[in-house]
Amino acid sequence: MNKLTLLFTGILLTFGSAWLGLVAYPVANLGHLQPLPNEETGGVNPPTVSGLAVIGQKVYAANGCMECHTQQVRPDPFSTDIAKQLGKRQTVPRDEIREHTPFLGEYRIGQDLSNYGARQTDVAAIHRHLYAPKSVTPWSNMPSYSYLYEYRKIVGQPSAHAVQGLTGSRAPKPGYEIVPTQQAEALVAYLLSLNQNYPLPESPEPTAK
Amino acid sequence: MSNDQSSQPDTLNSAERSTIDASVAAPVILFFGTAIFWLLFGSVFEVISAIKLVWPCFLDGCGLFTYGRTSVVSVNVLAYGWATPAAIGIGLWLTARLCRVQLARYKSLLAAGIIWNIGTFVGVAGILIGDNTSISHLNFPGYSTHILLLAFLIIAAWAIVTFNQRQSGPLYVSQWFLVAGLFSFPWLFATASQLLVWKPVQASAQPAIAAWFAGGFFNLWLAPMGLAAAFYLIPKSIGRAINSHHLSLLAFWSLLLFGAWSGTSRLIGGPLPAWMASVGVAAGVMMIIPAIAVAINLHFTLDGHYGPMSWSPALRFTITGVSMLVFTWTFSAINSIPLVNSVTNFSDITRGLNLLGYYGSFSMIAFGAIYYILPRLTGKEWPSSCLISWHFWLATTGVLLGVSTLVLGGLIQGYALQDIGVTFRSSMEFVYPFRFIAALAALLIVGANLAFALVFAGLHWSLRRPGTAPALIAVREDNSQEPVAV
Repeated sequence: MNKLTLLFTGILLTFGSAWLGLVAYPVANLGHLQPLPNEETGGVNPPTVSGLAVIGQKVYAANGCMECHTQQVRPDPFSTDIAKQLGKRQTVPRDEIREHTPFLGEYRIGQDLSNYGARQTDVAAIHRHLYAPKSVTPWSNMPSYSYLYEYRKIVGQPSAHAVQGLTGSRAPKPGYEIVPTQQAEALVAYLLSLNQNYPLPESPEPTAK
Repeated sequence: MSNDQSSQPDTLNSAERSTIDASVAAPVILFFGTAIFWLLFGSVFEVISAIKLVWPCFLDGCGLFTYGRTSVVSVNVLAYGWATPAAIGIGLWLTARLCRVQLARYKSLLAAGIIWNIGTFVGVAGILIGDNTSISHLNFPGYSTHILLLAFLIIAAWAIVTFNQRQSGPLYVSQWFLVAGLFSFPWLFATASQLLVWKPVQASAQPAIAAWFAGGFFNLWLAPMGLAAAFYLIPKSIGRAINSHHLSLLAFWSLLLFGAWSGTSRLIGGPLPAWMASVGVAAGVMMIIPAIAVAINLHFTLDGHYGPMSWSPALRFTITGVSMLVFTWTFSAINSIPLVNSVTNFSDITRGLNLLGYYGSFSMIAFGAIYYILPRLTGKEWPSSCLISWHFWLATTGVLLGVSTLVLGGLIQGYALQDIGVTFRSSMEFVYPFRFIAALAALLIVGANLAFALVFAGLHWSLRRPGTAPALIAVREDNSQEPVAV
């Protein structure tokens, strides 16, 4: 191999082939997926999400939630995700179209969140979990996101948004309250929107064996 | 042994060599020095993250130091603060030596080094204040990646000019790897930044691109730069030519082809067309070919000449690093098999493989290269053989301990995550003791990096007592073939 041009051409071909297959192909073929009409509700699948949930995606990214939580349900036989009830069907590209960045994740240090919004619908419970994880799940190793909340003295009427039901050492002292910042509200809205329980033709629910 | 000239490193005489070395000294020292600072910084964040995994109360409730930010900072600082500048430093020095040209316009390279470090600093600050992009190995916010790309384009332009001015003759195997690495990195980095960060395409198309980038960052950028150094230092230090030209060719082309396609093997069962994951699996398993080709080729080059490893720090680190690179590719190949992946995916094994790849193999080779290069650039000897020994043993123990506990713990965690009868809570409790030991291993690695930073500082500020012998880590044998320094 004496000629630089020969070397360069070879590199261009090997590298370029993968670039065409793994970059150009998905951009051309997966980059313009549309939601499908939902005849029952008159809406679309996947359903559109609120503006607050879209802001919540940024909060999710900023705090590195993806470092511990995956958001992908894999089919049999590559996994037991469906048997473990992480979701009813496999996650497919169309499920991602509402996201800015797909938070697929690499680690399950914490639970998979693909369908968190289907499991948990209680806003106050999610706030308690984010503010003081161990007060909700004693064995949790999730860090506290208390910095997304404001601990303040009650002046006049208590806030209607204050986190309710905290017990133990993380409960506010009498006369004080814990109020979610807009970031915390957005994050909770985003978590509630995580729900893939809508039908997509390319991802049928596996029938029971 | 092949007599092909492309199996021989340079044939410069020592006067030519020192003129060329002197011409690259300033930028190379700048890249290495700042890289070592970031290495220490990144490994401290690695320890903070490892402690937080076993003891979540540590620095809890503070946005700046939440686990999701510290672990991202450590991964990205080690990738862009340490590994990439170290690879650039090695690349500049090797390019000048192997092309046999004195470096022109070194001030532009100094500027590139400064711009690169500004970019890294801005990126780290961006993650800590909450601008993390949440894209693996590309977590720096968009405003800092522009700066990094600008710095790299200056370097790439310089490399093109230097390769065009090179004195004629066959290209040595290290040069193939240099061209491949210096060409791949800007392509990978610019593509991924443009399509995922600056002007993101629809999220449904992003997983394949992100996987292609994360795989390519190691296999097409760091690994080729490490191998370029290894294929130069090893024959040079023992005074023998590379054993087989054909094995070099096989290792090079198989690495480029399979390395480029192997990224999507991390998305088995994920939301992308099935053929993409399949092709990733096929390429990932085939990574066994460059692993075997490199192992056989360098082993037969070294056969009967392993002796200098006992006293030469450069050789000892480089050979350890190459061995771990072979293990990295072998383990990744096994990990790409879907049956195995269904257990190991999302477990701590991924952390173990990252540690083995980024620290055990690339960083060890880079340490070896820096031990080889800096005395020749500065005309000074390393100040302390004791510290070099500490560096080597702490680093090796840290990597082996960390990788073995993360792999063992990851296996148990993976089986627990997969087994329908085991709760998620159990998967956490099973892996806990292993994460505890892995945190200790991360601490050993900080110790190793600290020892390395101290020897570097000692060399740079001439802290070696005059008149003492060169810093070899053991008594040198009389029949050794090359002086250690200069």
